[in-house]
Amino acid sequence: MKILSKDKLESVLDKLAESAQVFVPLSRANSSGFYSWENRNPEKEQLMLDTLNVYMSPKNIGFPQTEKMYSIIQSGAEAQIKETFEDSNPRIIFGIRACDARAIRCLDDVFLTRGYTDSFYQARRENMVIIANACYSPGPNCFCAAMGVNPTEPEADIIIRDTGDSGYIWEAQTAKGEELTAGISSLLEEKELKAPEMKPFPTQVDYSGVAEKLKGMFEHPLWEEMAQTCQNCGICTYVCPSCHCFDIQVKSWGDEGYRYRCWDSCMYTEYTAEAGGGNPRPTTKERFRNRFLHKLEFFTERYGYPLCTGCGRCIAACPTGINIVKIIDQVKEASVDD
Amino acid sequence: MTDKCSCEQPLVPTIVEVVDIKDETPDVKSFYCRLSEGGVPFNVAPGQCAMVSCLPVGEGMFSCTWQEEQEYLQFAIKKVGLLTDELHAIEVGQKLGVRGPYGNGFPVEECQGKDMLFIAGGIGLAPLRSFIKYCFKHREDYGKITIVYGSRSYADLCFKEELFDEWPAIKDTQVYVTIDNPEEGWAGHVGFVPAYVEEINPNPQGLMAVTCGPPIMIKFVLQSLEKMGYTDQQVITTLEMRMKCGIGKCGRCNIGSEYICLDGPVFNLAQLRQLPQEW
Repeated sequence: MKILSKDKLESVLDKLAESAQVFVPLSRANSSGFYSWENRNPEKEQLMLDTLNVYMSPKNIGFPQTEKMYSIIQSGAEAQIKETFEDSNPRIIFGIRACDARAIRCLDDVFLTRGYTDSFYQARRENMVIIANACYSPGPNCFCAAMGVNPTEPEADIIIRDTGDSGYIWEAQTAKGEELTAGISSLLEEKELKAPEMKPFPTQVDYSGVAEKLKGMFEHPLWEEMAQTCQNCGICTYVCPSCHCFDIQVKSWGDEGYRYRCWDSCMYTEYTAEAGGGNPRPTTKERFRNRFLHKLEFFTERYGYPLCTGCGRCIAACPTGINIVKIIDQVKEASVDD
Repeated sequence: MTDKCSCEQPLVPTIVEVVDIKDETPDVKSFYCRLSEGGVPFNVAPGQCAMVSCLPVGEGMFSCTWQEEQEYLQFAIKKVGLLTDELHAIEVGQKLGVRGPYGNGFPVEECQGKDMLFIAGGIGLAPLRSFIKYCFKHREDYGKITIVYGSRSYADLCFKEELFDEWPAIKDTQVYVTIDNPEEGWAGHVGFVPAYVEEINPNPQGLMAVTCGPPIMIKFVLQSLEKMGYTDQQVITTLEMRMKCGIGKCGRCNIGSEYICLDGPVFNLAQLRQLPQEW
């Protein structure tokens, strides 16, 4: 089998960075996320391959928090689209976990299927290679397996498996992965190592039957109760690897400007506020309910699997302790009149 | 028969020129747009929508008025906010962005051979008007046509020429118009649309009812139709919600697992009853 020895790790990342932008999990200020390997500050920022999940997910790599779409010119009655900014530069995400790899599949299904292909997402996605780091020791907030994700078999072009001190097992999974592997083969070794044993999940939750049960729970009093502490701050949607809602806005000065899209959040009043004054989700209860139903029921109905990948980021980030695992538990326990 | 936006960049608009603007009411104007070189960037089916954008201001989803010739893209737009204020201020010759067509449109073929009942309030007549015009263009394919329309006042009635002159003159067509409150010079019906529909009481046998208007009107019209014996399959409505992408990706216009922009905006009542009551 192919092995990436740990002392060759930096050389591999440097080599990959010659032909693509390489994103790795890095500490940055008081936070962490997937940032460019070549632009890191080695004195202040550490590679965090051993951390299960960095604070920010890699979703911004395919779906930036703010993305310029096209530039415009309007002068009096004249108007034109000047330039469209689809960005298909090669990108490699290194060290992503199985939950985040599944979240990219969620984004792929949203942006690339069901009648329309989002050309901005497609441009970023088509030249992207995903190298995922298999998980064997789930953290306190991890519950990916309950959401149908296999932590040791991430959906990626290449899987690396940390065997401890000596190195990573390196397994190409797709043609893209094979091609990338060929380009760095001189830095890999050929020897036999054993992948670690999978440890049990500290957090247990049972999602089976939840999507079906939720179908009959839209008017359930539980939503009012569960939404009580929600501040509608939106941090859950911001750290979530699969939340894909966006807004399209314009920035203009004089005759020029551009349209851009940016992450939006179903937690905000403005998200569904209509020009005529109406709002179908006027209070926290409706917005909270829509978010969790989208994650656990609506997406499952539409795409066949949930929009929650069990990464646990929202559990860690919520300032009032709202916990999607407990919500699943409460839904399981709730009594429903037939 | 419904076209979908098939362009390679579905979020990027095409530039069209406004060639005519018509005042419909004090706060509704019709805009006629076409490509500078002539023609339209896409054909629309009755009930389909398009994103109209004033480039430096923003985009909004509007129902396209269907026309057989597909000579213009036509929109009847009510002034209610930032974008529509801007649109109401433009003049003929202005260039705008459009992208589309979006949504499923009305089931015009499924309704063939049926009597048609159109029930609209205020600007809600705009989407229905496409279906009405389609029926008149294919008059032999549809039975008796009944149109019930109401607005707050006479001034707020849209498309008056069609309402009072053109449509009532067409074979087997009845047009009933009502306004909310009595006013000087108005000899017609006064009262709300749902009650007027019950008063007219069209026989549900072999009929399809199509309704659009303010949410509160739709709610009461649906109750009235149910009371009058209409089945859920006989009742069609077209919904709206805030939209940004128009292609089922940006998230906000969902009702349950359906997106109004993509899976709608047209649903029959049987379909709506399968969804959470958030419309």
